[in-house]
Amino acid sequence: MRAKLGFAVTGLFVAALATSPAFAHHAFGLQYDAGRSTTLHGVVTKVEWTNPHAHFYVDIKDENGNVSNWNMELASPNALRRLGWTRDILKVGDEVSVYGAPAKDGAKMANARTVTLADGRKMVAGLSEKDAEQ
Amino acid sequence: MRRDFASCIVTVLCVAVVLFFPSTRAAGQENSDKHEPQGVNPAGGGVPAVSLKHLEAKTSGPTPRTADGKPDLSAVWGPGLNMGNIAVNLKPGDQLPLQPWALKLTQDRATPEAKRKDPKPNCLPDGVPREDPFPYKIVQTPKLIVFLLEGNVHSYRQIFMDGSGHPTDDLEPSYYGDSRGHWEGDTLVVDTIGFNDKTWFDGTGHPHTEKLHVIERYRRPDLANLEFEVTIDDPGAYTKPFTIYGHSPLLLNTDLMEYWCVENAAQDLIHIVGDSK
Repeated sequence: MRAKLGFAVTGLFVAALATSPAFAHHAFGLQYDAGRSTTLHGVVTKVEWTNPHAHFYVDIKDENGNVSNWNMELASPNALRRLGWTRDILKVGDEVSVYGAPAKDGAKMANARTVTLADGRKMVAGLSEKDAEQ
Repeated sequence: MRRDFASCIVTVLCVAVVLFFPSTRAAGQENSDKHEPQGVNPAGGGVPAVSLKHLEAKTSGPTPRTADGKPDLSAVWGPGLNMGNIAVNLKPGDQLPLQPWALKLTQDRATPEAKRKDPKPNCLPDGVPREDPFPYKIVQTPKLIVFLLEGNVHSYRQIFMDGSGHPTDDLEPSYYGDSRGHWEGDTLVVDTIGFNDKTWFDGTGHPHTEKLHVIERYRRPDLANLEFEVTIDDPGAYTKPFTIYGHSPLLLNTDLMEYWCVENAAQDLIHIVGDSK
């Protein structure tokens, strides 16, 4: 419930995300469409704690019951550590909600802005202040 | 009496909430605070990195000094410029004095194909003055000042303070050039030449040539702030010198961390298809 409320609030700020925040490795707008930011719910299938961006993968079920695997990009491990993340904070099998911007090239990929963990904690996943505006 | 007791309970609970709440919002969890960039940059400074925001020193104090009385710049500092477009760091009203060819090259670099060739996402050094949203560390000694850079790649700059000048011959062009520094009062002045032309000034793609000459001026007016200005003189690409302004906040309770861009960068490059807006 807490997560749903949070994402309802974040939805109000989608328009504010159509900016070009500074990103560690590449300009955000080169790869992601902030204007189509959305919330995705699913089950973690893999975690890659790598530079320049950590990634995790989530099985997401659509309204017809079809499951697809999405690649969720995070900030770099050094930035994530400073945001309170640890490499084992996400575990395979965890149910999570991800608020993020989908890839412009149509890949099943998104840049995660916030991740609501299985225990309800809501973690900022992006790097810049504008990333956390939602 | 009963009402007084209830009122007392409410008051105690309110105080407890006020006292407890700040400590319950752990780093990285939702932070709705809107911080304005601090500092002297007349253009408003860079985009502060939220991952570093809670590490910025909240208190101030006098400028630390070394045994010889110079300001001691040694510390871990947050990034101080907006590097999406270097022009953002100009004084209001100023414009980049691009030569026509440099303007055209910048425009040509707006395509996804060109962005994939930006040295930064290819994990090459930033050059000067481009930054990343990661800390850097200054280590100051009387004869040598070292800038340790967490990103773009782990790298360093050496500022020679021994009174020597730039080499007069056989200066191999490099990403960070040859830097010689001296003090003008409490201002550290760093003069750098010998750059290669392989870096972009920013994500927009503003270019430079090997004629680039950079003069940086750093001041630590108090404990928690590092103010700087960077004058860029490149007669190969710009019609006249121009100056950008930055401010780095002192970071506490952190140190440089590893950041190895090259580890998995290829995964990102293939998805660069849009513009930077």
